Amino acid sequence: MTRVGVVALNTFREAVRDRVLYNLVFFALMLMAAAVVVGQISIGIEQLVIINLGLSAISVIGLLMAVFIGVGLVSKEMDKRTLYALLAKPVRRWEFLLGKFGGLLLTLTINTVAMSAGLYLALFYVKHTIERADGVALVAIYFILLKLALVVALALLFSCYTTPLLAILFTGGLYVAGLFVKEMRGLHSDTMAPAVQVFLRWLSYVLPNFENFDVMASAAHGRHIPAALIAQNTAYAALYCAIVLAAAVTIFSRRDMK
Amino acid sequence: MNSRNFGPLLLCCLLIPGFAGVWKLQEKIDAQFDGIHQEADELVIQSGKLLKVMSLEYAPLMADLYWTRVVQYYGDKNVRHDAKFELLWPLLDVTTTLDPNLLVAYRFGSMFLSESAPQGAGRPDLAIELIERGIQANPEYWRFYEDLGFIYYFELHDYNKAAAAFLEGSRNPQALPWMKVLAAKVAEQGDNRETSEFLWNEIYTSTSDPQMKENAATHLQLLRADADCKAIDALSDDFEKKNARRPASIRELVSAGFLRGVPVDPLGNPYLLDDEGRAQLTPGSPLAKKKKFYGRTLSNLANPNK
Repeated sequence: MTRVGVVALNTFREAVRDRVLYNLVFFALMLMAAAVVVGQISIGIEQLVIINLGLSAISVIGLLMAVFIGVGLVSKEMDKRTLYALLAKPVRRWEFLLGKFGGLLLTLTINTVAMSAGLYLALFYVKHTIERADGVALVAIYFILLKLALVVALALLFSCYTTPLLAILFTGGLYVAGLFVKEMRGLHSDTMAPAVQVFLRWLSYVLPNFENFDVMASAAHGRHIPAALIAQNTAYAALYCAIVLAAAVTIFSRRDMK
Repeated sequence: MNSRNFGPLLLCCLLIPGFAGVWKLQEKIDAQFDGIHQEADELVIQSGKLLKVMSLEYAPLMADLYWTRVVQYYGDKNVRHDAKFELLWPLLDVTTTLDPNLLVAYRFGSMFLSESAPQGAGRPDLAIELIERGIQANPEYWRFYEDLGFIYYFELHDYNKAAAAFLEGSRNPQALPWMKVLAAKVAEQGDNRETSEFLWNEIYTSTSDPQMKENAATHLQLLRADADCKAIDALSDDFEKKNARRPASIRELVSAGFLRGVPVDPLGNPYLLDDEGRAQLTPGSPLAKKKKFYGRTLSNLANPNK
C-alpha cells in the first residue's frame, strides 16, 4: 500500500475510534420519526419530507464532520506531537496531507453511503416502492459528497497555517459565501464603480461555487438532472480540490515545525 | 444499606414524584393560559425571499416545514371554529416562495383560501392568485387549471371563466380527456345540479388524497339529499292539490300512496317534513350537520341566478 493510503486508512480508523459514525444512529432515528409523524401532521408531503430531510441531514452532518474534523487533521497531530514521529519516517509532507484528506473523505463517503441506505429504506417505508424518479436523490447525494470533498480541502488548507478556531471560521465563512456566488455576479448598481463590479465578477469565479451542488429541490420532485451537469460538477470539484490541496501542500511544506 | 447506595435510590424516589408534580403544574399553567387566551399566531418573517436566503441550500426542507405549519394553522382554526385566517395567505406565500414546485401547497392552499367561512378564509381572489402563481412555476401541471375552474365555478359562480380554465387545461397534452367535456358542460349549462354532480364526481374519482375524496363524497351526498328533498316536495305539492292541505309527515305521504316507504338520506337517516310541509334532513343527523358546514353548495343550487 502506498504511504498516502496508509495515512488515509489510519485517519479513517481514528475517526471510527472517535465514535464519529455514531451520528448514523441519530440520523436513522430522525428519519424514522419523520416518516411516522409527518404523515399525521401534514398533507401530501410524506415523500418530499423524507427526501428533503434526508438530504439536508446528510449535508449538515457531513458539513459538520468535514469542517470540525477537517481543521483538526493537522493541528491534532501537532498538538499530540505524533506528527514529528510520523515525519521522521519516510513519509513526505504532501503524502501526509493527501493521506489525511483521503482518510476523511473515506470516512465521509462511508457515512454518506450508510445514511443514503437509511434514506431509501425510509422512502420505501413511506411509498412501499422505489421508482426510477427516486434515483435523482442519488445524484443529489453524489453532489453532496463532491461538496464535502471541497470543504475538507478548504478546512485542510486553513488548518495548515492558522489556529483551529480561525480555520473553522474561514471554512464556514467561505462555504456561506460560496452559496451566494450567483448573486455576487449579478450585483448591479448605478452607484457601484465599474472597477468594483469587475472585481466582484472576478471574485465570483474565484470563490468555490457551492450552489453548483444544490439539486435538492430537483431530487425531491424527481426532476431529471442532465448527465453533462454531473460530469461538469465532478470536474469542477476535482479541479478545485486539486488547486486547494496544492496550496495546502505548499504552505505545509514550508511550515517551520520547530 | 450504606450511604453510597442510598443516594441514587433517594434520587429515583424523588425523580418520579418530582416529574409528576411538574406535569400537574404544567397542566394548571396551560389551563391558566387557555383562560387568558392570548392570540399566539404570528409570522415573524413574512418575506419568503428573505427566508429563502436565510435557509441557505435547505429551502426545500423549510418549505415542507412551512407547509406543515399551514396545515396545522388551518386545522387548528377549524377545530376552534375561528373564521379569522389572517396568516393563511402569508404562510402560503412563504411556502411557495421557498419551494415553487410544491404542488400540494398550491392545490390545498387554494382550497383553504377559497372556501367561505367557517370552512375557509373566503378569499377566492387570493386562491386564484396562488393557483396562477403555481401555473407560472409549473406550466406542465394541468391539474392547476382544474382547480382554477372549480374556484370560478363553485366560489365565484363565473361560469365563463370556469369553462375557459377547463379548456385551457385541456390543451395540455397530459390532461385527461374529461377536461374538454368539463369545459363544454360548464360553458353550455352553467350552474345546475347535474354539472355540480359531474364536477364532484370527477374530483372523487381522480383524487387519491383521502381528505379531498371525503370532501367530494360529502358534496355528492348533499347533492343527492337535495335532489331527494326536491322530489319529496314535488310529491307534497301533488298531495296538497288532492287534499287542499300540506302533508303533516312523510308517513302521511306513504299512507296516501305517494311513497312506497319512508325515504332515507344517503347515510340511512329518514327525511322529515318541517312545519311548512317541506322535506328536510333529520336534525342532528350526520348529513344535516355537514349541510350546515357545506350549505353554500345547496343554497347556490337553490338560486341558479346567483
